[in-house]
Amino acid sequence: MALRFAFIAVCCALALPGFAQDRIEVVTTTTDLRSLTEAVGGERVAVVSLVPANMDAEEYQPKPQDILRLKNARLLVRVGLDYDLWLDRLLAQAGKPEIGRGGPGYVDASFAISVLELRGMSVGPGDGHAHGSGNPHYWLDPKNAEIITGTILEALARIDPAGAASYEANRSAFVARLRAKLAEWEAKLAPFKAMPIVAYHNSWPYFARRFRLDFVGFIETKPGVPPSPSHLAGIVQTMRARGVRIVVREPHEPERDVAFVANKAGASIVTLAASVGALPRTGDYISLFDANVEALTSAAAVR
Amino acid sequence: MIEPIVFLWPAFLVAVCLVGIHAYFGIQVLARKVIFVDLALAQIAALGATVAFMLGHPAQSPATYGYSLAFTLLAAVLLAFTRAWATRVPQEALIGVIYVVAAAAAILLIDRAPQGAEHLKQILTGNILTSGLHDVAVIVPLYAVIGVLHWLLRRKLTGTGPLVWEFVFYATFGVVVTSSVAIAGVLLVFSFLIIPAAIGIMFASSLARQLAIGWMIGTLTSAAGLAASFIFDLPTGAAMVCAFGAAMAVAGLLYPLLRGNRRSALRVAVASARWGAAAVLAGTALQLAVAPRADQPLIDIIEYALPSLRALYFTRTEETTFVDASEYAERYRIDAERLNDLEKRRRTEGETLDDFSVGRISSFLKSYGEMRKGEQFVMGEVRARARERMRWGTSVGLLTLALLIAPVPWRRLWWAGASR
Repeated sequence: MALRFAFIAVCCALALPGFAQDRIEVVTTTTDLRSLTEAVGGERVAVVSLVPANMDAEEYQPKPQDILRLKNARLLVRVGLDYDLWLDRLLAQAGKPEIGRGGPGYVDASFAISVLELRGMSVGPGDGHAHGSGNPHYWLDPKNAEIITGTILEALARIDPAGAASYEANRSAFVARLRAKLAEWEAKLAPFKAMPIVAYHNSWPYFARRFRLDFVGFIETKPGVPPSPSHLAGIVQTMRARGVRIVVREPHEPERDVAFVANKAGASIVTLAASVGALPRTGDYISLFDANVEALTSAAAVR
Repeated sequence: MIEPIVFLWPAFLVAVCLVGIHAYFGIQVLARKVIFVDLALAQIAALGATVAFMLGHPAQSPATYGYSLAFTLLAAVLLAFTRAWATRVPQEALIGVIYVVAAAAAILLIDRAPQGAEHLKQILTGNILTSGLHDVAVIVPLYAVIGVLHWLLRRKLTGTGPLVWEFVFYATFGVVVTSSVAIAGVLLVFSFLIIPAAIGIMFASSLARQLAIGWMIGTLTSAAGLAASFIFDLPTGAAMVCAFGAAMAVAGLLYPLLRGNRRSALRVAVASARWGAAAVLAGTALQLAVAPRADQPLIDIIEYALPSLRALYFTRTEETTFVDASEYAERYRIDAERLNDLEKRRRTEGETLDDFSVGRISSFLKSYGEMRKGEQFVMGEVRARARERMRWGTSVGLLTLALLIAPVPWRRLWWAGASR
């Protein structure tokens, strides 16, 4: 009897992925791309992000389950620009050419993005990135989301032509909503134009460009290396000279170093989310900006 | 201008406090031969904090400290017993096992929690640079209590008494290590613990003198490490650890001079220095002869210090090509930086650059990067060819130099050969 139940249970377990086949399974590396893919795919797709919310995607260590997720996926959306390099080994292990580089289900979301802070192979001093292909945090400019969703739309229509019209409509609706929101965010941040800010990590050039903010320094000079005293002294000096009142920190970044710098220069710490889900109330792409703009404006208003 | 002293003195004060208690514990730890016990205890405390974090307690809450302390005390019980178990297996092996299992268990736990990895990292990698007076206010009373306790119990805590005293030792040590690792990080705390104590033991036999030497060396080395980290723009913890390593090396070199037969020690030192220099020269000669295109560390260092030396083996055309290429590479770098600066300024000044202009800038930047790499390739190629040309002559020269420097008794060998 027990054996029969076990047999039925196993059959059910095996059949489950079959039910999920109704929806197109999409894997993204980050939660931001998951949110944007959902915005385009709507009801027709089931999206999982490999990196959980609130984890540093640059230092993610893949798990065995991730290979399984890739094997089941029909579409893969990645950040590119050396941001999610660990994915390449994972793809080789999954051995699925359809979603591999050059395959129909492979989307590098950095396609057609105007990349900032490209420095060839050499990394400029104090820039805080080990990336030769430019700063990879391009999703933090809402305008870029139009390009990213366009790329995703094209890929989805390619692997699922039947849903093309619905994807098109979803994306148009999303872009319209985003444009309205962007005008609202820009208006909210307009009074703080050229406001000098210091951040822990250089995640914000695209955000700064769109909202006309001035990130004058970064606490972390190289990922994973603690800052040297003369660098910190230089930052504090710049902050005093430029009147920096805000130090931006992401939730996964060390609080102590940020607090140290902020205390020395009499600035306040603002925790911003660089990814969807990194903070409460940042559940999707649009609320991510809502929360960040809100946090920045309320901190900047206290002068 | 912020004076370096103003910036560094809180860190220095913290370092002095940490050296104060750790030099003492280091002497005890060295006597018990449980060198890595601090790593095991710190890791166990981190495991406790991770469990607390998993149960929903915020990072610096009393509950988290409670869990850390409870885990540390449990580990102290375990460690006290390991001495009794360690009849056939050395105690260090068991300490190592405690360390790796605690570390692995913590990884398994934090895998379930987002942001957990960062949390664990913060427990185990303090940054002494960003510590301050609030840390001193916590550790000074704590270390004073523990120091007084050890002073009162000094007869009992020699490490051969009953298990309960062994437990007291590990428990107090665990409390100290847990607090210090959160402030200064695992690497630096290990240095504080072992190196001043080891130097003290080298040069003195009574506990008081060992402590005095350890405190002095620890304080001076901390100051030197902090200063070096400021002057040379280095991460503070790592610079201090290397300063402690250098102090250990200097002490090791001085020991035979101060404690042994001074003349024979000097003779051995000179001979080994000559052997070392000869080996480096011979190795360079061999590397140059076998693989002239590969890295030549010694030649590269000398050329870096004295670029004019290249004139010795470059032809005039090679020299001009090399200088041209390096000037162009630098120009491309400066041009690229200028473009990056322009883009950054336009984020806040004047009209924003449209996407098309930004795209154009980034394609320019890409080309500059490629062109710069091309020039660097030219430089490497010119140098490799010149080195290929000069390899035999220079190799023979270097080998001769190596033979001359090596302390081989040439004259005696010569006479022995002649008289045969």
